[in-house]
Amino acid sequence: MVSSFFSDILLHPLGIYVLALGAGFLIPLFDRAHRGSAVLVFFAALAGMVAIAGLNLLAIVNGAPSIDIETAGIAPPFSINLRFGLLEGGFVLAVNTAALLAAWHCLPALRQHASALLLFLIMVMGINGMIMTRDLFNLFIFIEITSIATYALIGMERTGSVLAAGFKYIIATSVATTFFLLGTIFIYYQVGTLNIDDIIVHADLIQGPIGFIATLFVLTSLLIELKPYPANGWGLDVYETAHSGIASLISVGVSAGVFFAIYKVLPLMDSYLTSIAFIGGATFLVSNIIGLKQDNARRLLGYSSIGQMGLLTLALALLLQLEASSQLVLVVGGLFINHMLAKAGLFWLAGIIDRSQLKDWCAIAQRPGLLLLLGIMMAALIGLPPFPGFWAKWQLVMILAEGGQYLWIAVVLIGSLLEAAYLFRWFSHARGTDNNSMGDSSTDEVPPQAVVSLAQQLPVAIATLLLFVIGYVMALAMNIETPGMFLPLLAGFALWLIDGIRGRLKALAMLLVVGAGGYWLTNDLDGINRLFSYLLVGGGLLVSIAVMYRNDDRRGFYPLLAVLLLSLAVLLRAKTSLEFFFGWELMTLSSYLLVTLGRNGVKPALNYLLFSLASAYFILAGFALAYAASGSLLLSDLGNSGDSIGLIFSLLAIGFVIKMGGFGVHIWLPGAYAEADDDFTALLSAVVSKAGIFGLVLIAANLGVQSDIGLDPTYVLGWIGILTATFGALMAVFQEDIKRMVAYSSMGQLGYIVTGIALMSHLGWVSALYMTVNHFLFKGILFLSIAGIVLRTNERMMYKMGGLIKNMPFTFVFTMIAIIAMSGVPPLTGFGGKWMLFNALMDKGWYFIAAFAFFSSAVAFLYMFRLLQTVFLGQRKLEHAQLREAPAILLAPQFIMIAAIMVISAYPRLLLDPLSAAIDPWISNTLVWEGFALQTQYGYWNAPMIMAVVGGVWMVPLIILLLVSLTMKIQKVEQFNIVYAAERPHRPEDTHFAYNFFAHYDRAIGFLVRPRATAFWNAAVEWSHTLASSLRVFYNGNGQTYALFILMYFVAMVLFNGGLGS
Amino acid sequence: MIKRIFIFLILALMAMIFFNLATNYSENTELSRLGHYYVETGPEELGAPNLVTAVVVTYRGLDTLGEVTVLFISAAGVGLLLRRTRRKDDDEDLEQGDRAEETAGTHKPASEIVETATELLLPMVILFGIYVFLNGHLSPGGGFQGGAIIASGTMFLLLALPESHISRLMIAIIESLSGFSYVIVGVLGVIMAGGFLDNRIMDLGTYGSLFSAGAIPLIYVFVGLKVGFELSAVLDRFRKEDTGPL
Amino acid sequence: MSILADLPISLIVLCSGLGLVLIGLWGMLTQRNMIRMIVGFSLTDTGVHMVMVSIGYVTGGTAPIINDAVPMADAVNRVVDPVPSALVLTAIVIGLGVTAVMLSYAVRIYKARKTLMIDECTESKW
Repeated sequence: MVSSFFSDILLHPLGIYVLALGAGFLIPLFDRAHRGSAVLVFFAALAGMVAIAGLNLLAIVNGAPSIDIETAGIAPPFSINLRFGLLEGGFVLAVNTAALLAAWHCLPALRQHASALLLFLIMVMGINGMIMTRDLFNLFIFIEITSIATYALIGMERTGSVLAAGFKYIIATSVATTFFLLGTIFIYYQVGTLNIDDIIVHADLIQGPIGFIATLFVLTSLLIELKPYPANGWGLDVYETAHSGIASLISVGVSAGVFFAIYKVLPLMDSYLTSIAFIGGATFLVSNIIGLKQDNARRLLGYSSIGQMGLLTLALALLLQLEASSQLVLVVGGLFINHMLAKAGLFWLAGIIDRSQLKDWCAIAQRPGLLLLLGIMMAALIGLPPFPGFWAKWQLVMILAEGGQYLWIAVVLIGSLLEAAYLFRWFSHARGTDNNSMGDSSTDEVPPQAVVSLAQQLPVAIATLLLFVIGYVMALAMNIETPGMFLPLLAGFALWLIDGIRGRLKALAMLLVVGAGGYWLTNDLDGINRLFSYLLVGGGLLVSIAVMYRNDDRRGFYPLLAVLLLSLAVLLRAKTSLEFFFGWELMTLSSYLLVTLGRNGVKPALNYLLFSLASAYFILAGFALAYAASGSLLLSDLGNSGDSIGLIFSLLAIGFVIKMGGFGVHIWLPGAYAEADDDFTALLSAVVSKAGIFGLVLIAANLGVQSDIGLDPTYVLGWIGILTATFGALMAVFQEDIKRMVAYSSMGQLGYIVTGIALMSHLGWVSALYMTVNHFLFKGILFLSIAGIVLRTNERMMYKMGGLIKNMPFTFVFTMIAIIAMSGVPPLTGFGGKWMLFNALMDKGWYFIAAFAFFSSAVAFLYMFRLLQTVFLGQRKLEHAQLREAPAILLAPQFIMIAAIMVISAYPRLLLDPLSAAIDPWISNTLVWEGFALQTQYGYWNAPMIMAVVGGVWMVPLIILLLVSLTMKIQKVEQFNIVYAAERPHRPEDTHFAYNFFAHYDRAIGFLVRPRATAFWNAAVEWSHTLASSLRVFYNGNGQTYALFILMYFVAMVLFNGGLGS
Repeated sequence: MIKRIFIFLILALMAMIFFNLATNYSENTELSRLGHYYVETGPEELGAPNLVTAVVVTYRGLDTLGEVTVLFISAAGVGLLLRRTRRKDDDEDLEQGDRAEETAGTHKPASEIVETATELLLPMVILFGIYVFLNGHLSPGGGFQGGAIIASGTMFLLLALPESHISRLMIAIIESLSGFSYVIVGVLGVIMAGGFLDNRIMDLGTYGSLFSAGAIPLIYVFVGLKVGFELSAVLDRFRKEDTGPL
Repeated sequence: MSILADLPISLIVLCSGLGLVLIGLWGMLTQRNMIRMIVGFSLTDTGVHMVMVSIGYVTGGTAPIINDAVPMADAVNRVVDPVPSALVLTAIVIGLGVTAVMLSYAVRIYKARKTLMIDECTESKW
């Protein structure tokens, strides 16, 4: 009997109720005896509820049948029964686990009052009941149990605002449940039963106006409980004011129960699935728009909560409509568990950090642990890998694409982007907008930091851990290549563990880890992927050697760098679009975080992230369409997409072009490049930008050529590339900031490459790949040189420099060679690239584009010349007299790259032959070699000869000059031999010749480079805020208005679904 | 004003929906499937002549347990909300309000008629309450009704003798133990009979007698006590704010 | 009078119940005083209970209690549906619980803010 007591009752799902009620009823007595014992009983009961759910779910996962719990010893429908199946079990386990963590979080408040303890326990039981019961009226009881417990717990902290919010909440939900009751009783009137399964069997009895209204009453009241827009102001007020633990439980627990209740009655609601999807979608979209304008952290979480529940509702309705209910566990379950853990975690963080205004969250700017937790929660919430939301969202988008629901894909992706915007704006505040990682001139006062004990962080940490674990499990379910795809994260985690050791040691460890991991990931690649692996992983490592020039702490930098570099390897390794997207998003996230580590990097990083996410969503949409068309996730099957190939190509190309800073969507680029750490800028420009090129090559190869689509998208792409090149160069001309200038230059150079790829010809591709390698080399050198210059001068404004050639001769020489290689004059690598590009453009007949290319090459000379002249030549500033050369570790990778430039310049075949071979599978070789000369119809290019000639032309004057300087006496001019002629400059830069150097050009063509794109995007932000303001007018704070909206919802549902006549 | 018109508009539409319900309603001429089963087999199956009781306590026993829980948590919730502010730092302005309230609110003593009537009626009211919940399976009534009657006795008491003291400890003990016993009886149903809350853990006894219908009278005793004391506690808490723990 | 007499008895209860629901809703939406709003809720709730009871009525039926007046054999044709009666019992208790919590909120709000007007409690918005 004892054993049966355990197996039949305590470990049976019924035990959840027995435990909760038994403990709940007895807690007051325990409390009288001893407060601590009541707390103990409370936790024992909650833990027991988790254990029961877990054990039973485990059994079901292992093949046991789902458990039907009958009561009263009488079979349903004549008695109430409960069900514990796979879905129920999953929800119950998740809710109970979250509740246990939430209980830990709000224990200090709960333990003040025994009644709070028992209310919490019974509230959780109520949610369990909502999930498990199969009886419509019993569902009402459990909803009410949950509601009343919630009402009381909201009022636990009796401040005026929380009480007001609670009262509005009660009014709103009691109106909703009243209608639920009305609907239930009329369904009973027609069907004569209350058992949900029985009702579904006899659904044909629900008919006529009564059936119609009754069904809608039940449905709408449940939907109302999920707080749809605009009938949700009451929910927001509670999210904003209630205790964070209680708010978290409302957000993830109560919502889960109601959501499951909707799922249960949905078989009765077939004809309303579209309405449900619309409500969910609108709520998701609108909540996220309004969130953009919200400055209160807790209310923001409210909007996010409501939005996420909208997304869940949308997904549920659409999946059922598309008859993809086999995917429910993965999509809805994944989204739900993701929302639950991440949102609850954020609520708890909001509770322990206790800053209501977002801008006050800089209180954790110096708390890397808390920042990490915050960042992980947010990344999970918007569906970045490897968290459950990523897989679920992917699968959802794929299913929607298969079903042709493009509009809904757009809603999901736009909503996600908006959510990312406000969540990461919050993160930016928390990161602190003014951090100075160089450690210099940081006289700003650090705002008082939040004091948070480890015990308080525990629930959030556990939620984080669960997010990772469940994400991994879902990856297994999606047939992702594990552990390869997770290697970046693993490496990052390992390096994070040793983040306490000294700077250079960490850097060395990072290089070793990335080297080994990168080799392991990429050594079995071939073809073009292998070529790119040399560039991205090998090149990445080469540039990364330079990071050792700093020996400071750089918390988080090395782990993130490892994640970034290895995610590039993952990208190359990807066989399926899912794996590619996984690597892509991982790259996005890690590079975003790395940019935030830079001086003033937080704000530009946010721009960078948002544009990167937009890019990622275009890519996602493209992959989804391809999957829908070809039925395969393999990248090599992209071409089998039939008619939609042009659209797919366009979507993917837009995605990659955004990531490369294409014309019009480039505004993230200069800021991110300029404000990132100097060594990381080199990586961003030289290495990370190549990921976009890889993507472009990938789709060009798999989509463009094979199926011989109409040329339109590629022609447009060619123009985008060349406009990017032109405007990048033009904008670079007018910069004063050395990093911004080279950043614009980088953007421009990538434009040529885009055009090269868009040519879709062998020569075009060879030139593009050749320029890619070249770009890697010279941009790596330039940004590392700049890192050295900034390190020594602590300046980025060029007019504050000058004459550095004497202090930094190596840097000067390297920069000069890089600039020559970039400019496209003989004899260095740039010439070959331009030469081939022009040839290919002429071949194709793209004469206008060629003209633009010519023009922008000429413009590029202006800024390149200025870089060299302003920084290294001219007069040296007095304070720069003692500067030393850049550190050797910074020069070493530059030297290697210089050597590479020289070798390739002299023997381009060393590079061109493998490039040509890699392209061969798609376009057969058209390169004609005669000895060392490359032949085309417009002429030939004999690199070694050019090298020799130009070398000779250089050497002769050099020797003459040397002789002159040695033999003749030259008078040296002292510095600052300047007479101001009675005119005293008011601004120091006015005295520098290099300030506003191209003012005359500015007058001539400056109108071309006015920040129109920036203005456009600013206007877009402005507009979205205006939209948010007008969308949120409904939330006037008046409880009666909120109740009115609920009634309107009922009326609207009835009217829209057939009105009163039917 | 616009809001008013809007409210009227919405309510008018609501009324039209309701009108639609009413015009399409036709009175049942026979029992529903569920009702038919309960009326036909209920008396024999559970041994309770009062079929509403049979439905409430056994067939839909889980609802009733939930209902008891609802009452329990609303009493707890009222207690939580109306607790007296104990610590100073816990919303100070409230405390001031509390004190002002206390000093201002001197109760007018009830009239002699009320007092005397209460003294006379109170025992009878409570007795009647007990009668109602003990006979719940036989005649109209049951645990809730009986409990409500008992609580109305408390109301009498509070009206007549506003200063009278009601023992919180006693309430807590009875409340907790009767609730817990209810759960235990339910669990015994799993072990000794067909399922959770099955009333047939005890002999069904002679049909129609006081000690019959299995555990229904027992359950109703627990429910009656619990409801009576919980409602009393709620009333008491509204009278003056909570002074002690629960 | 004769029209009313011809109407089924349960329809009258049903209509009264629905009317009460509307009156209650009107009260909740227009009365700014929270206590009055709570009264409105109680009315709505009671209205729903009346609707529930009317649904359970069977023409000519009596209370579902088997006794001398209603023999067991003939009970099926003589009594009203016991289910709505049971449900309404539960619903009443739940309505009571909600009302009690609402009232204690009103008490507390008055203590904290010295007002019972719902439109003076609008500091959380947008």
